[in-house]
Amino acid sequence: MTFKEIVYSPCGIRYCFDSLDLQSGYARQLLLESEMMTDRAAIQANYSSLKDYVTLIERDTTLVQNVQFKLQGLRDITATLQSLEDGTLLDDIEFFEIKYLAMLGDDIQRLFSGASVQWRQFDLDRAIQILDPEGLRIGTFYIYDAYSMDLRGYRKSLEADPDNDELKDMIEKEESRIKKVLCNLLRPYADHLKQLLKALAELDIFLAKAYQMQKEGYVIPTVGESAAFKGLFHPQVKAVLEDAGREFQNVDFSYEMGLPSTVIGANMGGKTVVLKTLTLCQYLFQFGFAVPAVSCTMMVFDQIYFCIGDEQNQQKGLSSFAAEMLRIDSVLKAVESGDRILALVDEPARTTNPIEGRALVSALLKILEARHNLAFILTTHYNVENGGKCWRVKGLIEKSKGVEGLKMDYSLLRTESNQVPHEALNIATELGINSQWLDEAKRYLEK
Amino acid sequence: MPFIGEILNYGSVSIVGLDKNTGKTECLNYIIKRLPLHSYKVAVTSIGIDGESLDQVTSTAKPEIVIREGMFFGTSEKHYMQRNILSELYAVSDESTALGRVVTAKALAEGKVLLSGPSSGSALKRWMSSLTEFGIDLILVDGALSRLSTASPAISEAMVLSTGAAYSANIKDLTAKTAFIVDLIGLPYCRRDVDVTVSSFVDLKGAILKENSVIGVEGALTDRLLQMAKNELSRGEKELVVNDFTKIFVSPDLYRSYIRRGGKISVRMKSKLLAVCVNPIAPNGIVLDSDALCQTLSQEIGLPVYDIVKNNYDHDI
Repeated sequence: MTFKEIVYSPCGIRYCFDSLDLQSGYARQLLLESEMMTDRAAIQANYSSLKDYVTLIERDTTLVQNVQFKLQGLRDITATLQSLEDGTLLDDIEFFEIKYLAMLGDDIQRLFSGASVQWRQFDLDRAIQILDPEGLRIGTFYIYDAYSMDLRGYRKSLEADPDNDELKDMIEKEESRIKKVLCNLLRPYADHLKQLLKALAELDIFLAKAYQMQKEGYVIPTVGESAAFKGLFHPQVKAVLEDAGREFQNVDFSYEMGLPSTVIGANMGGKTVVLKTLTLCQYLFQFGFAVPAVSCTMMVFDQIYFCIGDEQNQQKGLSSFAAEMLRIDSVLKAVESGDRILALVDEPARTTNPIEGRALVSALLKILEARHNLAFILTTHYNVENGGKCWRVKGLIEKSKGVEGLKMDYSLLRTESNQVPHEALNIATELGINSQWLDEAKRYLEK
Repeated sequence: MPFIGEILNYGSVSIVGLDKNTGKTECLNYIIKRLPLHSYKVAVTSIGIDGESLDQVTSTAKPEIVIREGMFFGTSEKHYMQRNILSELYAVSDESTALGRVVTAKALAEGKVLLSGPSSGSALKRWMSSLTEFGIDLILVDGALSRLSTASPAISEAMVLSTGAAYSANIKDLTAKTAFIVDLIGLPYCRRDVDVTVSSFVDLKGAILKENSVIGVEGALTDRLLQMAKNELSRGEKELVVNDFTKIFVSPDLYRSYIRRGGKISVRMKSKLLAVCVNPIAPNGIVLDSDALCQTLSQEIGLPVYDIVKNNYDHDI
């Protein structure tokens, strides 16, 4: 699974991607093409580097600014380096690109010398020397006179006799001989330069992630065998609320393998936001980002399933119910594969009649009850059986008319009872909905 | 040549031709030949595909751009590889045109280059601002044929206009057509607050034009909008405010009749017209009387007019 495949996930990871301050288009591309990490050691190693970069931006802001400024010049020259490796004859522009990359790498290496954090060291002197025969150490390029006495001579003669076609031919021949020699001299460094190119893009990504963590108040999770979050928030929802002068209420949550978690609670209680945030955090974690929480422990999964309502796939001609059933079915198949699965399901079977809906959800919880390779979290409005670990949104706390006046306590409480709270009518009343309708509904409830 | 001295007062100058074969490239080569490069760092590029060795439409010979030693130039990868000049690469942009990316290089000796720079106005602006790191004093832009957009003050501070027999084969008609463009370039700045802003491309309500007198025009000023404004002139004063002259797409007749009846058009940004160059020879063989053309046009527009090919003014500045 690459980052590109999940960037439009309804969990809202696109927002975190867009808020990364990447300096080069190549870093952006590399991040999009990166594979999700499913190896615990890789995730830990990644976070250990991220920690170093966070320290660096705290201690050495000027250095980081200089490095980021340099990284703006980073270009994707993979194709050029591949040509070099394959033995294709390079042209002036390609030599320029290689020289520019090598000098950029060298400049950044120099910036890092004496810094509190070490960056990888590449031996670039020889490659630069080949493309900088006059030792000027500037990032420009042409087939220098210094490469050949003959070339120098021909060029001098051409100045005096600018229309001499014979001389022009000789120059062209000599230049192309030199290009061949340069290619042969540079070829042994092709792989080295490829690694440099990748390392520079990775540096760009790490610095952007470190800045994001510092600016947005994210945290580096502890890698463990269960998941527990303190002060969890959804950055995009938080930003929207703050723009409207309101505050996002952080929540705490935990879940484990083999024991389903159900989240129940009133409408508008933020259940879906909790699922989105948990999904977002899991993706951020496995793609090496810091996560939006005050502190957390997280575990590694092989596959992540996020099933949210309104998945109606009109192109396939499926109703929202059919699309949802198929999606949950794919979760069941995945569980059988033995992979470690995280499945987050928002109000399953909500689009069908409540009698069958309730049966479907209870049965789903039953068959997924003791799967040791599955962490399963669902939200529901049904009174379900086999609810596993049950959480309830605290709900309505203040009464004043209208949408604006509605006050909610979004915190999640552990509850032993899986009876869903009956707050729908209260909330509708607070919203100022037609009283004749609601009064009639109350009479039905009393029947 | 007086206008070379004037060019040096600006950071960017575009050379714009009113039609193909009006001598724009000769004009650019003429300017380049006379610039004091020992004291000015100069860069040159063109917008889009231009500087072909043969004119693509009429197959007449077109001079290549002669780049002098020490000058910077911007062209596409394709044309860089075909160049006939010794030059040093300074930058390769990450924006691509149909002919590849735009490269920036410095000439190490005099030579000829086909110029094909950034393909849009905004890409051109980005290229121009990327040159600051090389300490360039003056950027010359070879504008696209019959596209005035490069002359927009949003891109270049000043301009040189080339016109000629290829634009119109009759001195009187050529003078009138050229004078119309010169009039537009010379439109005054808007000095008042705009009452309301309209766009030519949405449903215009006559009432808006009826009730307001200073009307901002978003985007292009078209015949339709100008006609509507003209119809309301009897009720009171009208001033249409456009961003700059390149946003005006109206017929000369309508423009003149609007102005005659007391209507006003003003601009938010202005570009300085430095000179008009003429080419009295059209590719179909028509040759106008160069002296008569220069004199008539100069009288009409109140600016010096030069036939640089015939006169080859070679005094030092």
